[in-house]
Amino acid sequence: MKKVQRTGVIREYDLHSRSVKVLYGFVLFLCLVMTVIALFPLIWVCLAGFKDLKEFVSSTSLLPSDFNFGMFTTTWDQLGIAKNYLNSLFSVAGSVVCAIVFNGLLGYGLGILKPKGYGVVKKLVMLSLLLPTTISIVPLFMNIQKLGLGNSFLPLWLSFGANAMYVVLFIQFFESLPHSIIEAARIDGANQLQTFFSIVLPLSKPICTVIAIFAVNAAWSDFLLPYLVLRGGQLQTVMVRLFVFSTEQTVNADTMMRSVVFSMIPPIILFFIFQKQLTENAVSVGIKG
Amino acid sequence: MSQTKVMRKLSGARFAENSKAWLIMLPSLILMLFFVWEPLFESVRMSLYKTRNVELVRYIGFDNYISVMGKDDFIQALLNTFSYTFWSLIIGFLLPVVLAMIIGETRRSKGIFRTIAYLPNMLPGLAVIILWSSFFSAEKSGVLNILLSTIGVSPQTYLTRAEWVIPIIIIIATWKGAGATALIYMASMAGVSPELYEAAAIDGATVLQRVWHILLPSIRKLMGTLLILQIISVFQIMYEPMVLTKGGPDNASLSLMQLMWQYAFGGSMNYGKASAVAVIVTGILLVMTLIHSYFDRKESSWD
Repeated sequence: MKKVQRTGVIREYDLHSRSVKVLYGFVLFLCLVMTVIALFPLIWVCLAGFKDLKEFVSSTSLLPSDFNFGMFTTTWDQLGIAKNYLNSLFSVAGSVVCAIVFNGLLGYGLGILKPKGYGVVKKLVMLSLLLPTTISIVPLFMNIQKLGLGNSFLPLWLSFGANAMYVVLFIQFFESLPHSIIEAARIDGANQLQTFFSIVLPLSKPICTVIAIFAVNAAWSDFLLPYLVLRGGQLQTVMVRLFVFSTEQTVNADTMMRSVVFSMIPPIILFFIFQKQLTENAVSVGIKG
Repeated sequence: MSQTKVMRKLSGARFAENSKAWLIMLPSLILMLFFVWEPLFESVRMSLYKTRNVELVRYIGFDNYISVMGKDDFIQALLNTFSYTFWSLIIGFLLPVVLAMIIGETRRSKGIFRTIAYLPNMLPGLAVIILWSSFFSAEKSGVLNILLSTIGVSPQTYLTRAEWVIPIIIIIATWKGAGATALIYMASMAGVSPELYEAAAIDGATVLQRVWHILLPSIRKLMGTLLILQIISVFQIMYEPMVLTKGGPDNASLSLMQLMWQYAFGGSMNYGKASAVAVIVTGILLVMTLIHSYFDRKESSWD
């Protein structure tokens, strides 16, 4: 069996001491408490989804009286969630492409090409990292309205192409790439754009993966700008729908719980597919600013 | 060929290179301008105008600010926002450090615990709020009341109590975010060489002494950075109270950003006043950032 190299404060030989053993037991206990607290709400909301309205508002048991998956399919059909899923899918797909291409190109310019005067733009990008995006949601929405882009995915897609954090992550990664490879491509006669798509992007799979996961999750979860842009129309995403439910209270509490479950399924699947990339890579790039 | 000619040719090539590079960045820069930079300036400009729908009607100087700040709900929202920040530091600042320490000490199941800690952060914020709203429901079918009934406590109200509502919202936000922050600390803690602990142990340092003298100092700077980031992010809290309590009871959980949203999209479409609130929030955040970078620089010069 492979011996696990310990990295923590408690060393192997410490565990011979009784008080350290107790301490270690306490640490494990706290980890279990954390696990329960982290998972319990998820388990509970799924259980609540099996209850009908009468049971949901009156039952004093966490367990539903029976596990009838029909509850979920009925809500799915009644609310037409399939259409919202499809809308979310379009919205997410376009957002991810924009997030990679536009922020990647800006990162390429500021991190590798560095044309004369790039420093000013880089400073501006760094500064916008500090400024919250919700602050300017009002004028942004007005601009979108003025351009007649309401009720369309286009402004939502493009908004992901202007993310200061993603740009900074790209710059950091590009600066770590070996310069000789890029030089070689240039000498072979590739122009700057060709170099980006044929050399730089393929070398940047790790950072692209992380940013794609971030962007998928952010685009799926976003609802403020999407609500303003898409409300009332045919293109509403799952989260916009959920937001409308919660503000206008047009659905019953039990249906609401099932909608919550529907809205959490894709992120959870994404999480379990990419958990390694997320908990390892994402952390090293997770510090904003 | 004379030297000047070569130089001219080279600088001509460099000029072409430069302009091509700018051309490549142009689409992204236009997006940045449209989505980030221009709206910020527009916010400031709009806050100085009387607005009707999306039109700027006329310049009115600081009237929007005076009118907004003169209202009771602004004072309340300002105090609440500081209260959110205060509670978030009490409840949510040290917790990630503790989580990082305990997960970092586990031997075989580190990966599993790390995954579990990160999971809540992946869930959509809106879904999390709605989910917890039923947890804190005042009905006897509310989850917390069900749990309390097993130890014989009668059903309580939570979100309708002015003194509890802000801490509860912060607990929910902490549930979602603490694990992800813990992972950032863990990455930093993993940078401490195990030999340091070994050496300290040989010198007779107990486990707790090692934590205090080696582990904690190693993350001190990161703690400072995450502190300011946390303050900045909590200061913008908006959709949580909006969805959970609509700012109630009696404005007890109304935040500044929520006030901005209400001016703009709460029916009155008063974009000028909304912008005034946004500019005030930006101003406060900017001051905080400046204070942080001042202390950051001072500290670096000490080291």
